[in-house]
Amino acid sequence: MKKTLGIISLLALGLLLTAPRAQAQTGAPTGTTTVSVTIGPQAGLTVTNSSTPLAASGSNFNLFTGTTGLTYFVRTTTTGGGGSITLKVTSDFSPTGGPSVASPLAPGDALTYTCTVASPGTACTGTQTASTSSQTNLASFGTNVHTGTGGSTASVGWSLANDPNYKTGTYNSTVTFTISAS
Amino acid sequence: MRKWQMICRLKLCSALFTVGLVFLVLPISSFAQNTVSQTLNVTVVPLGGLFMQSAPLALTKTGTFNGFTGTITLSYRARTRQGSGHGTITVKATSDFTPTGGPSIASPPSTADKFTYTCSGATLGVACSGIQTVSTTTSTTVVSLGASACTGGGAPCSTANPNSANITFILPDDPKYKTGSYSATLTWTISAS
Repeated sequence: MKKTLGIISLLALGLLLTAPRAQAQTGAPTGTTTVSVTIGPQAGLTVTNSSTPLAASGSNFNLFTGTTGLTYFVRTTTTGGGGSITLKVTSDFSPTGGPSVASPLAPGDALTYTCTVASPGTACTGTQTASTSSQTNLASFGTNVHTGTGGSTASVGWSLANDPNYKTGTYNSTVTFTISAS
Repeated sequence: MRKWQMICRLKLCSALFTVGLVFLVLPISSFAQNTVSQTLNVTVVPLGGLFMQSAPLALTKTGTFNGFTGTITLSYRARTRQGSGHGTITVKATSDFTPTGGPSIASPPSTADKFTYTCSGATLGVACSGIQTVSTTTSTTVVSLGASACTGGGAPCSTANPNSANITFILPDDPKYKTGSYSATLTWTISAS
């Protein structure tokens, strides 16, 4: 009787051991996958006009003015996040003899700008002076903000003195915009 | 009966059994003219099985707001009926992304925020073509199996065993998503007939 019970126990154990193996060989009719994604703060921008001509109206040395448009995308962290758009003149006006950001001919010859920024950004206030050595503010973002799928707009209204001391000619400068988010 | 018990007690039982077995075997080998036929029946049915990887599929970024992507290799075995048989491997989101505030399969913040996938490299059957959209309500096809499809062993079955297919998931990165980690559950189903 004991022997019989032992044999039955061994058979049962064998079945238990072989069942998972059979399952593993044939697979299962269904299976699941957990898909995970971590979404962090992010920011990006595009400059909508490839170049910004500065033009002066009239003939009485009125200021040169022009506008650069931007589309920006941003998402800041839900707690403690923030961000900004800044700009910097990475290449001063050239050739020499005309306007200059780093070394203007007169104190009033600075390249200045004003900001227009659509929500969720906050535009810079007043008139800012562009620099070749430091980033200057264009927009700032608070915590837990985001643009829509199509982004938001911003623009920079440039102003440059029309100094009679500038030699005639065409002068080019490069401005680099930087957006960041945390 | 008592005699047999006595014989067994004298350890003659196994010896007698061996002798008996020899007598039983000898006639069979000595008289090969005897033919006994036995019909063996086996019913081979259509079958499909999936082998899932246990690790979660992490979707990662490819650029600024370019979207998140991730590829999973699906392993499967299948056998379909000759003639009218067919089979499919489908996928369905049985649990939407959680927590809320991020991507959603059932209610994406924007119409362009669909959770999609493409299929490639099926070693048995035909991988889905184009861009498919994952749904929480309906199962969508990943691999289609035709008649007489079978895994392994070479022609007319596949060489690969198990078979595999690559599924690449794409999730747009909408700025509207709040920062955080989100997860969803996909359920795969294989059927064969």
